[in-house]
Amino acid sequence: MISEKRFLKAGKHLMMGNEAMSEGAIAAGCTFFGGYPITPSTEVIEHLAKRLPEVGGVCMQMEDELASINAVMGASLVGAKAMTATSGPGLALMAETISMGANLEIPFVFCDVQRNGPGTGYVTEPHHNDIGFARFSGNGEFQIIALAPMNCQELYDLTITAFNFAEKYRCPVFLMSDAYLGHLHEVVKIPTKEEILNEVIKRELPDDTKGRVFSYKDTSTGEYIIPKPPIMGTEYCPGLFIHQPHGPDGLPTPKPIVYQEMLIEKITSKMDEISLTDTYKLEDAEIVIVSYGLPVRSSYRAVDIARKEGIKVGIFRLITVWPFPDKKIKEAVKDAKAVIVPELNYTGVIAEQVERVTKLETPVIKIPKVAEFHHPDDILNVIREVEK
Amino acid sequence: MSGVGPMYPNEKPEHPYLSKSYVGNLLGNYSSRFCAGCGYGIIAQMYTRVFEDEQLDPYLHPLVIGIGCYAQIMLLVHSKAQKILTLHGRAPAIATGMKLANPKMKPIIFSGDGDSMGIGGNHFIHLCRRNLDCVELVFNNSIYGMTGGQGAPTTLFGAKSTTTPYKMFENKADAVKIALASGATYIARTTVAHPRTFMKYFKKALRHKGTSVIEIVTPCVTYFGRKNLDNLGFEGEEGSKMDTGGKMIEWIRRNSVRKNQAKFMTEEELFNKYIIGEFRYEPNKPEYADEYAKIQKIAMEGKK
Repeated sequence: MISEKRFLKAGKHLMMGNEAMSEGAIAAGCTFFGGYPITPSTEVIEHLAKRLPEVGGVCMQMEDELASINAVMGASLVGAKAMTATSGPGLALMAETISMGANLEIPFVFCDVQRNGPGTGYVTEPHHNDIGFARFSGNGEFQIIALAPMNCQELYDLTITAFNFAEKYRCPVFLMSDAYLGHLHEVVKIPTKEEILNEVIKRELPDDTKGRVFSYKDTSTGEYIIPKPPIMGTEYCPGLFIHQPHGPDGLPTPKPIVYQEMLIEKITSKMDEISLTDTYKLEDAEIVIVSYGLPVRSSYRAVDIARKEGIKVGIFRLITVWPFPDKKIKEAVKDAKAVIVPELNYTGVIAEQVERVTKLETPVIKIPKVAEFHHPDDILNVIREVEK
Repeated sequence: MSGVGPMYPNEKPEHPYLSKSYVGNLLGNYSSRFCAGCGYGIIAQMYTRVFEDEQLDPYLHPLVIGIGCYAQIMLLVHSKAQKILTLHGRAPAIATGMKLANPKMKPIIFSGDGDSMGIGGNHFIHLCRRNLDCVELVFNNSIYGMTGGQGAPTTLFGAKSTTTPYKMFENKADAVKIALASGATYIARTTVAHPRTFMKYFKKALRHKGTSVIEIVTPCVTYFGRKNLDNLGFEGEEGSKMDTGGKMIEWIRRNSVRKNQAKFMTEEELFNKYIIGEFRYEPNKPEYADEYAKIQKIAMEGKK
């Protein structure tokens, strides 16, 4: 039975970013949240502690981050849609369990409201320093999906998408928010109940409950088949969940390479569906801005001003940051004379990826910012510099 | 004391629970990964027996197993039980998630001494504090067996291990005392030398609504027994070897004191001894999932 309180009244609501994310989770059918307060993600657990019991769900404040993510795993294993929210230090603590979740293909959503680091850092300042960490979070090799929203509306919409991705691809799905975005108050347009229910993928038992429970490669077609997630407490469950390299039946396999390949290829072979991107005035652009998250918003303004000055510049925006869309980036920057990557980190994690894709043939200019916004002028000055 | 260790007839008798165990059901043999003299086989068989006797619903009693030597118990326990191998020390947290997401369940947690006293101490404390309806079995072999015999938080004073090659000089952690302080509502300690008592406690725990903690003292011959004499380096006492399962189980039996007897003993006499018995049974304390259901009801009705 679906609780009526799961859906907010359709229409416009003024919401904080962290609240929009929480409401997105409830709309997506999340019924378990395990978390531990950490600035700047605290509003998520505060909001869900009030809202989740209303829809028959459970919001638990656990004793630490390790317990939070493990409780999320447990809840997901018995058939609840589950998520947790934390910040960089929490992600570091949770890494081991994320690795286990990836191994057992347990679907869950991970909201990372990033803050400045390393160490404690400035806890209320944004810093996209977990982008690289999320990609390689946890021991072992596995592919994750990371989505980068840039406003409160997207925090709501992409949380629903994240839950759908988790159900469909059975891998850790990250939402890369940050301290400013999480605390931003904006108008969010809530869709109607019917629209939401049409979009959401439900957790249910498959028709064939005796079938395989873990992903595998169909040898005849070469396609990766991802069965629905098993539910403990029903007959659709392996006799043993063991986080070693395992076959589709859950028993240990003597060929770890086959299993390893599956964990990564099951995501990367479905890039067309997973890779969400957006473009802005890119058709004739000679200078391409590649960005994600908050810096995109500054880039829009910079591009508009530059276009008035007659500079042909466009934006290629990553909504799905990981897996990295090599082909799309290659296509977008093939005629560009320079690529500008404004990022809220010093290393330039995504800039490095662009450099890899362009094989260093096109100059890639980083605009690093740490714990502060890009002013449109910061980007504009670089655009003018390149145009000269 | 018995100096000969366990003696088996030449032909092993047909085991009544063989076909019920996971590997027995799969392969039809006694395949076990435990060393000779290990106590985990006893525990696995006791679990399987209780599972059969009580006709446990496997869908409602998921078996959450941590990391340690005992994790291989998964091969010997009942084939129908739904088993999940979790991370080192995190089994109570996973069980919490399971119980809250499906309140009909009563998870059974297998954890070792390193699991629940060492790395997962925090989770253990908070599981007891919440009085979540589940059974936690703590297997205490006072050594880290899987990694090759390192000192554990429960290693007895004076014992030798690979990381305490001279002698153990730390105070040992006591799962029962921690559980008592944290608020678990059924707490007992027994040993593998008292299997029927264990079955009795386990059945009682299954019927109890609330957190049940049962510590089971079990021998590790390979890494504890072989390296220590049974006086644990205590001067003034003659030590004898503990290099077989039989000798070790005999030592555990001698080294454990019933709760009723312990009342009349001094602290020095109880040093390094295991006090066995039931320590707390409070069946009417509020249980976490029940309490949360009440919160949900209040929230759904819109009251504050």
